[in-house]
Amino acid sequence: MTTVAPVTAASTLPRRRRADGLRRLLARTDGLIGVAILVIFGLLALAPTLFVGPLQDVVTATGLPLDPPSAAALLGTDELGRDMVNITVHGARISMSIGLMATIITILLGTVVGIVAGYVGGVTDALLMRFSDFLLVLPTVVLALILAPVLDAVVGEGAELFGIRSTLLIVVVVIGLTSWPSCARVIRSQVLSLKERMFVDRARVVGSGPGWIMRRHILPNVVNLVVAQAVLTFASAVFTETTLAFIGLGDPAAPSWGQVLNAAQTAGAPGLGAWWYVLPPAACVVLVVLAFTLVGNALDDVLNPRARGRR
Amino acid sequence: MTAGYVLRKVAQSIVTIAAIILLLFVMFRAMPGSPDRAIRNPHFTQQQQEDLRARYGLDRPLIPDQLVVYIESTLSGDLGYSIKYAGRPVIEVVAEAAGPTVLLLGIAEVLAIVIGMALGSIAGWHRGGWVDRLGGGLALVFYSMPYFVVGMPLIIVFAAGLGWFPTSGMTTPGGSSDPVTWLLDLGRHLVLPVTAVTLGLLGAYSILMRSSIIDTRTEDYVTTARAKGLADGRILRTHAFPNAMLPMVTQIAINLGWVVGGAITAEVVFNWPGIGTLTVAALDRRDYPLLQGIFLLVAVSVVLFNLLADLVYGYLDPRVRS
Repeated sequence: MTTVAPVTAASTLPRRRRADGLRRLLARTDGLIGVAILVIFGLLALAPTLFVGPLQDVVTATGLPLDPPSAAALLGTDELGRDMVNITVHGARISMSIGLMATIITILLGTVVGIVAGYVGGVTDALLMRFSDFLLVLPTVVLALILAPVLDAVVGEGAELFGIRSTLLIVVVVIGLTSWPSCARVIRSQVLSLKERMFVDRARVVGSGPGWIMRRHILPNVVNLVVAQAVLTFASAVFTETTLAFIGLGDPAAPSWGQVLNAAQTAGAPGLGAWWYVLPPAACVVLVVLAFTLVGNALDDVLNPRARGRR
Repeated sequence: MTAGYVLRKVAQSIVTIAAIILLLFVMFRAMPGSPDRAIRNPHFTQQQQEDLRARYGLDRPLIPDQLVVYIESTLSGDLGYSIKYAGRPVIEVVAEAAGPTVLLLGIAEVLAIVIGMALGSIAGWHRGGWVDRLGGGLALVFYSMPYFVVGMPLIIVFAAGLGWFPTSGMTTPGGSSDPVTWLLDLGRHLVLPVTAVTLGLLGAYSILMRSSIIDTRTEDYVTTARAKGLADGRILRTHAFPNAMLPMVTQIAINLGWVVGGAITAEVVFNWPGIGTLTVAALDRRDYPLLQGIFLLVAVSVVLFNLLADLVYGYLDPRVRS
């Protein structure tokens, strides 16, 4: 009986609370606005071709170079004559899939390190935390710039994985490697208080090993925190991807919003006053990052009662 | 602040800097275009290759010989030679670009800290008031904008559109050498980049300050001050604000690495001749020695600022000193 109680407590209770959490999230103005924006961009990212046709290139471009908005091209064209609506919608898919992959790496690493460091403690904890401190201090963007050629040499230039070119993978890996420490810290601090709780003691008394306790007792109790962290990480991943693509780590053949802005800068769009080249991708980045931040903060309030009332 | 606290923090920073140098040593050897790979050229005879290796010390073991030489030269300021800038020492090229970046970031940081703290504390103190609602929304929007996304519209509206400010650069080429005119010209060029970086930073600082102030509102010393009958504004200024500033000190230092990274993009947009523009130029030409030099400079300055923040924090908060 003693082992059953904590397991059920850990597995069924949060599920009920989570359904309740979703309702509470949508009841909040910030949560609702954020979710609405994300649903729209999620649809665009899932099937861009359905909405605007295949991604245009120099050959299939439908307009004149740098044409202001007109009836033919609602948001004007870029310097190759491609329709900005087409590019921007396809950018959603690329930006958001890079963001998603980077988030998965970050959350996996962050959760594992956070739980292990917090639960095992001692030297392991000290070493892991010193290492994460070290990564936190390194300037992400500059680190990405010097990591990119190294990773390029490791995987081979032009290599592909799951149909994604290595240039984009590098961005994913760099974001993942540099952003897990803050996630690990948040989870570790929660684990530190969790492991002093009664149900962990009980599990230990009946002879559960540390691996089992971490998987079956600690993990289910930090899931809420992980979810909120994942959403916030997604925001910063899209943000960082945009920055890295803008300074030249993007893939021109798979233009994310940052890559489009890089092209706009190279073509001198801001100085020429070609606002239609800058505004659509810029607005999308801001909207998506804003939406993820809103939802992340709202989730944090809803799912982690202790933090509630601060905002 | 005890000597032990200071010593521990200084020791931690030294270890971190050592780790950064070690990381660079490893990465430099893994990079395409490393000297060893360049020498493995089929057009050289075996003898030539061996001679070249001996000349550059590549025949000696990586650890400890090559590592020792690497650390020695790094500490003495020898960071190798730039490829893009025709063999000029990296340290010289980087030092030249540091000035404009420090100028731009320095002004923007100070502005963002002052305005962000003011906005955040007013919003947090009068929670739910109009400043909080309006400012909170704006802060979140700016928080979601990379610096170049703030900068590009600024150029479109105020430089290309209205023509109030120059679109790029730090000074007008061939401008007057008269100091007053030169300073005014520099000022005109600074306005838009500084605005972009300040707005980009402002969001994070005001959000943090707001939640920090909200935390202090329920503290006993604030209740005591209220019970003494102090005016609301005075409680905020003399009791809540100084305490709420503590977390800001750490955050500002931690942010610095991000700020430098983000400022790269602001510099690119405005073609500001600083570290950011230099970084992108170095990346474009695959100028690895230069990239490494930039990384070392930026990482070490972030470590030093973190150390400074720890010391300031220890000085301000008696609880950490022990």
